[in-house]
Amino acid sequence: MVGFIYWRTHDEAVSTMRRQVIEQGKVLSDVYRSGGNAALDNAIDDTITYADPQTAVALLDRSGHQVMGNLAGLPSAEPLQEGYRNTLLRLRGQTTPREAALVVHRLPTGQWLLSGRTVGEGLALRDTLERSLLIAIVVASLLGLACGVILAQYVGQRIGSIAAVANRISGRDLSQRVPVSRAGDAFDRLGQQINAMLDRITGLMEELRMLTDSLAHDLRSPVSRLRAAAQAAAENPDPAEQEELLGSVIRQADALMRILSAALEISRSEAMTGRNQFTWFDAGDLAANLTEMYEPLAEEDGVALHYERPANPIPLFGHRQLLSQAVSNLIENAIRYGSSGGEIRVRVRKLDNHVRIEVSDRGPGIPTELHADARRRFGRLDSSRSDEGAGLGLALAEAIAHLHGGELVLADNQPGLRTTLELPLHQGQQEEPRAP
Amino acid sequence: MGRKILLVEDDRETSAYLAKGLAQEGHSVEQATNGQDGLFRATDGTFDLVILDRMLPVLDGLSVLKALRAARIETPVLILSALASVGDRIEGLECGSDDYLVKPFSFAELLARVNALLRRREARVDPADHRLTVGDLEIDPLSRTVKRGGRKLDLKPREYLLLEYFARNEGRVVTRTMLLEQVWDYHFDPGTNVIDVHVSRLRRKLEDGFEKPLLHTVRGAGYMLAA
Repeated sequence: MVGFIYWRTHDEAVSTMRRQVIEQGKVLSDVYRSGGNAALDNAIDDTITYADPQTAVALLDRSGHQVMGNLAGLPSAEPLQEGYRNTLLRLRGQTTPREAALVVHRLPTGQWLLSGRTVGEGLALRDTLERSLLIAIVVASLLGLACGVILAQYVGQRIGSIAAVANRISGRDLSQRVPVSRAGDAFDRLGQQINAMLDRITGLMEELRMLTDSLAHDLRSPVSRLRAAAQAAAENPDPAEQEELLGSVIRQADALMRILSAALEISRSEAMTGRNQFTWFDAGDLAANLTEMYEPLAEEDGVALHYERPANPIPLFGHRQLLSQAVSNLIENAIRYGSSGGEIRVRVRKLDNHVRIEVSDRGPGIPTELHADARRRFGRLDSSRSDEGAGLGLALAEAIAHLHGGELVLADNQPGLRTTLELPLHQGQQEEPRAP
Repeated sequence: MGRKILLVEDDRETSAYLAKGLAQEGHSVEQATNGQDGLFRATDGTFDLVILDRMLPVLDGLSVLKALRAARIETPVLILSALASVGDRIEGLECGSDDYLVKPFSFAELLARVNALLRRREARVDPADHRLTVGDLEIDPLSRTVKRGGRKLDLKPREYLLLEYFARNEGRVVTRTMLLEQVWDYHFDPGTNVIDVHVSRLRRKLEDGFEKPLLHTVRGAGYMLAA
């Protein structure tokens, strides 16, 4: 860049001077042609007197001696030739010869007319330009270097703080977070994303811990009942009674298996496995099949199971089996705990960007402060009851909702409980499949 | 009628228990304790059924299954596995198994399913007569009409499907899980006795006003339709 600027300015200066010199020579020739020697002499005089000090002009006789002019020393010993050339000249009043651009004319009388310019000014200019360019280069380099060092240090430090947090976390302290300034720059965004990721990991681990805690707690009752029944069977001499008790042992074992299967299914759903088995199906159809299956049981328990089938199909992209299981759990819960209200309603609706599947009863409901507990427990909320049906419904239904990117919402049905699966329609769902 | 069954299971207690139970039912049972041996025997011999565990040494169950199907061996395969999630079941069925039973299971459940699979190998009934008959019960699958003692029975659609499934498994135990899977296409375990209620409704329609019971409860196992 610097070289280019130098070359251009130098070039520019040189060609300007060349033009001037040639012009000047031409003018003087014309003067001679029109006015002869006398006019030329005058012109030369004027030039010396009035032109700027860099102008060189001289009239030489045939043998090369200066007749008039301002040359102090004659140009080099080369034979005089017409034309333009660069040479060294010393003007009167100067101590050293300078570079000059010179035009030489041969007059008809055999005299030589020399006119030109010394490059003092151009040279000076060049010098100055060179010097200032050099200074500029040095300053720029130093500045660049300084900036680079500062930037490197800043980047290093910001990344370093992120790396330090990562290091501390891998050293077991999951509570660490990346410090975030308010600059809003790329580092802050990175830091925020890492922090969000850490929050999610911490959340998942906490859920896992609560799950295993709940599981351990809620398995105690069925296991002790199982043990008690097995012991009684072992001690009972009557074969008929023994068979009865062993039957109970098997039922308790089955109940335990259901709890463990549900726990497994929950952890798988929360870990998002199963998404590769998603298909398209009609949510209205899914609910219709389930209500049809549960209708006899509901009737037997003295509660009416209502389903308002939506007028149009509601295509949903999800795991048909797992969603069926989730809704089945909600219906079973409603039948088991909400049948005193006499009525259970199932509804499926398509809203703007999600599908809502709702099961509501008019029974005693669950107090709001116990909602969180209800989602986590595998046994009944009231663990003093000893029925064999484990209330795992809500925990699994919630996990399945999460698998679909949605939520399980519990609300007061005033009276009763309203359980809702809110399932978003994913981006891919905007293009619904064409009807076959 | 006694059949040849290959049992591929590496857990000694389970295989001993199963082999004994199946032998008592009159079947002849051969055993393999790892996947490679199981595959070798299954391709070499002629079995009526293969009972295949998934977690096997040397070669796992699904690989054995895939190899069998790739070699165009169509012997019915029943998978036994502790891998119980819906995804695992679907995977097992998609690899070419005919049924998937989750451990722990009751022997009655296993037996019911084994018999259902073995039934498929029997000679097909005369295609000209497509009706199903159990005692004085007549079912016409084409028109979906049911008559008992000449009298037409009024069944809801689901009740009909339930009855048809029972009739196609006449004389064999049908478990609640089988009903849930085959009649409702649900592969999870409901916490309630929802299936029982459907069956008792069907039974009422089938037997009220008739002398002979047709739909029997088999304790600890399930139900059976038999004259």
